[in-house]
Amino acid sequence: MHETWVKRRRRIGWLLAGPGIVGTVVIALYPLVVLVVLSLSQSSLGQPLRGWVGLDNFGRALADHVFRAALVKTVIYALVVTSLQLILGVAVALLLQQVTRGGALLRTLLLLPVMTPPVMLAVAWRLVLAPSGGLLNRMLQGLGLIEAPVTFLGSPRLAFPAIAIADVWQWMPFVALLTFAGLQLLPREVFEAASLDGAGVFQRFWHCTLPLLAPLLASLFLLRFIMATKLFDLVYVLTAGGPGFTTTVGSFYIYRVAFQQFNIGYAAALTILFGLVVGLTTLPVSRLRQVVQRLEG
Amino acid sequence: MEQRSIILVERSLIMRTRQGQLGRRIGLLVAVLLLVVFLAAPIAYLGILSVTSQGQMLSGQLWPENPYWDNWPIAFRTVPLVQFLRNSIVAAVLSAIMTLALSFPLAYAVVRLRIGGRFLPSLVLASYAAPPIVAAIPLFFVLRALGLIDQLLGLVLVYGMANVPVAFYLLDNFLMRLPEEIEEAAWLDGAGTIRTMVTIVLPLMAPGVIATGIICGILAYNEFLFALLFTYSPASQTLPVGLSLYQGERLVQYGQMAVASLVGILPVYLLGGLLQRWLIGGLTGGIK
Repeated sequence: MHETWVKRRRRIGWLLAGPGIVGTVVIALYPLVVLVVLSLSQSSLGQPLRGWVGLDNFGRALADHVFRAALVKTVIYALVVTSLQLILGVAVALLLQQVTRGGALLRTLLLLPVMTPPVMLAVAWRLVLAPSGGLLNRMLQGLGLIEAPVTFLGSPRLAFPAIAIADVWQWMPFVALLTFAGLQLLPREVFEAASLDGAGVFQRFWHCTLPLLAPLLASLFLLRFIMATKLFDLVYVLTAGGPGFTTTVGSFYIYRVAFQQFNIGYAAALTILFGLVVGLTTLPVSRLRQVVQRLEG
Repeated sequence: MEQRSIILVERSLIMRTRQGQLGRRIGLLVAVLLLVVFLAAPIAYLGILSVTSQGQMLSGQLWPENPYWDNWPIAFRTVPLVQFLRNSIVAAVLSAIMTLALSFPLAYAVVRLRIGGRFLPSLVLASYAAPPIVAAIPLFFVLRALGLIDQLLGLVLVYGMANVPVAFYLLDNFLMRLPEEIEEAAWLDGAGTIRTMVTIVLPLMAPGVIATGIICGILAYNEFLFALLFTYSPASQTLPVGLSLYQGERLVQYGQMAVASLVGILPVYLLGGLLQRWLIGGLTGGIK
């Protein structure tokens, strides 16, 4: 009796889960299979699978300087931007905890960047950074810091930082809000005990807050790192990968090969290598998270 | 003796806090102001530009003396903003409903009926780690084979499936916090599994389900890459795609670009303002 009940429940369970599993397979597993097949072929957008070329596409990809640079840039960008967002986000969360009045209003303000469509945000930053009449140039000129307007997005040195600032604007508040929520859950007694023992603000942060928050911060780092490797929208609107290939990251380069040059076979090989590199760099980050959480648990 | 030393320590603590109070308050205020300026600047600048004429902007007026409202009608006339907005909202709402329909039973089956062990949840969550560009080319061929390229329905289906991992993650957390005893009581009363899920668990979890739906809707509303690749005409293009194509082409004037972006941003802000409590609940649901 009991066993059949358990079995029946499991059968219903698979029935309920079915559509969701199919959706996940269509969006995640099926593309992998198609990509592998396409990567071994000569394919265009109009005529897929025109002939088999073996591993030629991969050989070409490994020798492609723009692609190799794009991979390195993607990983470095993700690491830098994620670290910035975590450090600033934690700082803002601590600030929120100190604020006695208007905290709710501040949290509302922090919620807005997270919801802003990235393309609209990119358009806003384009206008802020514009050389003629942009907000930043006008402010810097008003303060007498620069004489002639700076073309931030056209400069090989400033284009990436400009994208990173827009990224920080969008996601630092997300880290701040979640960290703030995490801070509310920390046991108060620990901090009271530390204060009585004479621990200062920095000591309390370093020896109490940070270790207690570590599991949450490790999760946030992993999540934001994964999201940062997907960078596309900001690049598309702000720099279109330029100047030259300066801001051409993995996703953007693949987009150009596939949907502007229509070389689908080659793009498939690039995508597989890109996915591998992102996966391999995510692994240590996710491992770090497990270690932190085990230490805690 | 001991009592006294404690009182002394306390007194010195109070003295120290009083001395540092003013300085700390000023420092706090400055930090908060900097944060507010940083957060508000881009959007506030859009607002100002939307009522600034090109001439006023080039002459260096940061705050136009006579607001130039003509940017608004001109932007709406130059670009099919209403059509884009309608497409964005339809795609967001329908795909969010689809995501919930796929992921709520999935989450319930995994958490309560304990199917799939540890493998299934990790598979669903891992599929979120892949960059969307990975799915872009294969999905393009599927949609073309189904005749769904340049169709809003194609986008709805893609978003509906693509957001399942996010919804699963959020719903999983909400479900785990719900005590199981209530469902057990329903089973003992003879209610079937599916009936229990729909009539007992779903109403209890309504806040979490709605928060999840809103988050997935916003994700779909904001999505750009798939919309860029899978739609070609204004009949099916969403606002981000429309805006990205027209900026620098037809919307050469900053004021009109600002209007177009504001039109895209304001609906989400309105929604966020109205449903803030639920949204924060959804976003912070993962913290235990």
